[in-house]
Amino acid sequence: MTIPTQSDQQHAQETLAFIRRTMESASTFTPVSGWGLVACGAIGLVAAWLAWAAQIAADLRVWIPAAAISVVFASVANAQKARRLEVPVWSGAFRRMVWVMTPPILAGALLTFAMLVNDAPHMLPGIWLTLYGAGVTAGAIFSVRAIRWMGVAFLALGALALFTPGLGLIALAMGFGGLHIIIGLDIVWRHGG
Amino acid sequence: MVASAVTDGLDRLIHERLRLGIVSALAAGDSMSFHDLKQILKTTDGNLSVHARKLEEAGYIKVSKSFADRKPRTAYQLTENGRRALKGYLDNMETILTEAREALERK
Repeated sequence: MTIPTQSDQQHAQETLAFIRRTMESASTFTPVSGWGLVACGAIGLVAAWLAWAAQIAADLRVWIPAAAISVVFASVANAQKARRLEVPVWSGAFRRMVWVMTPPILAGALLTFAMLVNDAPHMLPGIWLTLYGAGVTAGAIFSVRAIRWMGVAFLALGALALFTPGLGLIALAMGFGGLHIIIGLDIVWRHGG
Repeated sequence: MVASAVTDGLDRLIHERLRLGIVSALAAGDSMSFHDLKQILKTTDGNLSVHARKLEEAGYIKVSKSFADRKPRTAYQLTENGRRALKGYLDNMETILTEAREALERK
């Protein structure tokens, strides 16, 4: 047996670390922008306030534009962060994240329509929070850990809203407003912006 | 890196840092574009294409070319051969560390 030299050993350690680092950056989508999430949270709070003013918790005239604006804000912020970090935006990890998150979001749209047809709008806050939570929790396997906790917290708020529909609007404000802001600030703090 | 009796047995093709990077990145994701690889490995167009071609010639990676929005898009994928090569290389690194540890314990 040949005894490896000190430099062989160092090289092996360093090489394994390099392989690991490379595999990690190829499979995780790190540029989730904390500021983007904070912006989504602010939009969520404004939407919740408008819905409260209109006395309709799941007011589609409020929440659909809010969701659309949030997607735009989050996308721009993510793209900017990716450019700053010099990592690909539309990476394999991000593509997979979008694919994993799309089915629950589509299911949410379908259930929204079904609930409106069946005259059960009080179920909407719970359905939105639960399915968004499901999508985020699943998509988080490709991203930083904070996102997974955000998903789980959305699921919990969804459960609350499903079984106590009277708290629907508060749950929406806490989820789409509060959780986005808290997790967003955590990402800003821990992952630089 | 100075070659020693131990490193002589290594797969020279992926021993080179950038080629090892390409194979590692592709082992983590199924298919990756030229652009993504370039950014992950923080290298230049020229460097990446030279080394990718070597890996392609060895049958370690597969290249597919297509058009997206009228722009040519090159995508890379790891072949079974490439996956085996990376596994062999990792085994080698592991052996080096195990042997070093054993030598240390014998002392």
